[in-house]
Amino acid sequence: MIGASMLLWTIVVYMAMRKLYARFYFPLLVPIATSTVVIIITLSLFHLSYEQYMVGGKWLVHLLGPAVVALALPLYQHRYTLKKFLWPLLCSTFFGTIIGIGSGLLLARLFHLPEQVVRSIIPKSVTSPVAMDIATLIGGIPTLAAVYVMVAGIFGAMFGPTIFQRLRLNTALGIGSGLGAASHGIGTAKALEMGKKEAAISSVAMTLSAIFASLLCPLLLLL
Amino acid sequence: MGIVIIQIGVLYTLYVVGSFIQQLLHIPIPGSMIGMLLLFLLLMTGIVKEEWISCGANMLLSHLTLLFIPATVGVMDYVELFSGKGIWSIFVVIVSTMIVMLFAGFIGQWAQTREQKRMHEVKGA
Repeated sequence: MIGASMLLWTIVVYMAMRKLYARFYFPLLVPIATSTVVIIITLSLFHLSYEQYMVGGKWLVHLLGPAVVALALPLYQHRYTLKKFLWPLLCSTFFGTIIGIGSGLLLARLFHLPEQVVRSIIPKSVTSPVAMDIATLIGGIPTLAAVYVMVAGIFGAMFGPTIFQRLRLNTALGIGSGLGAASHGIGTAKALEMGKKEAAISSVAMTLSAIFASLLCPLLLLL
Repeated sequence: MGIVIIQIGVLYTLYVVGSFIQQLLHIPIPGSMIGMLLLFLLLMTGIVKEEWISCGANMLLSHLTLLFIPATVGVMDYVELFSGKGIWSIFVVIVSTMIVMLFAGFIGQWAQTREQKRMHEVKGA
């Protein structure tokens, strides 16, 4: 009973927050951030624990695996974009991923963050479900990883376009690679506002980054 | 709706196969990612037709946010990590994100102009 109501509540909140975002379109209002806040507030109002919430929530988590598999579809649909810009895209996402992992790790160590936090920060530049899987594999906390992914997405989408403009980063390939490699799905949504080509490149960049991060993150911890 | 559920079932099967391969070979790559690469190969070789999975895949991808809400809600159990020093982790993530965006953006832009120049030279010669 509690499971069904938690599941239903999550869906209702999500639908409402989606509407809110569609109306105002401000990056801080991305549905993942607002929905999370609203649900945490309601849970604490009713003195419900996360464990009780997950009786219903786990059904959605089960769908994350197949959702990652589904990412093959946009990659396939954009195969001609991928082929045409193969080298620029491979270069930007490969080095972007290395720089993302490296700078995250370095900065986190610099601030003496707890080990589990460091390991949850490492996969922050890739799409949530993949980041959570990577965090699990390298000894981080999947939930924390999902939160950092959200932060990377929101801030990338918020400041990306201004930074690009200031630094004369203005080709579709530059903008698409930057947003996709740093801010995954949320960045790709922003890229769509800037153009179809930017969005196609961003979604390919996001998928390539996820592939590279899955390959590189575990390697890094061997060092 | 029925077709969507069947197609999600197909994607779920690929996920299970991917996880199985991961455990079998002891490779530290997420099973979901192996499943994705598997599906990409199947699509490219034409063994799996786009229509067989597109309804289910689009359904999952357009509501990806809904699927990871339960995960982010989990942060309520880690509030103490964000009080005090932990708050710096947010700062770390933001700075690192900006660095990635600039590097990936400039590398992409540079590689593209370089390639275009080369193509131009080949044509000119």
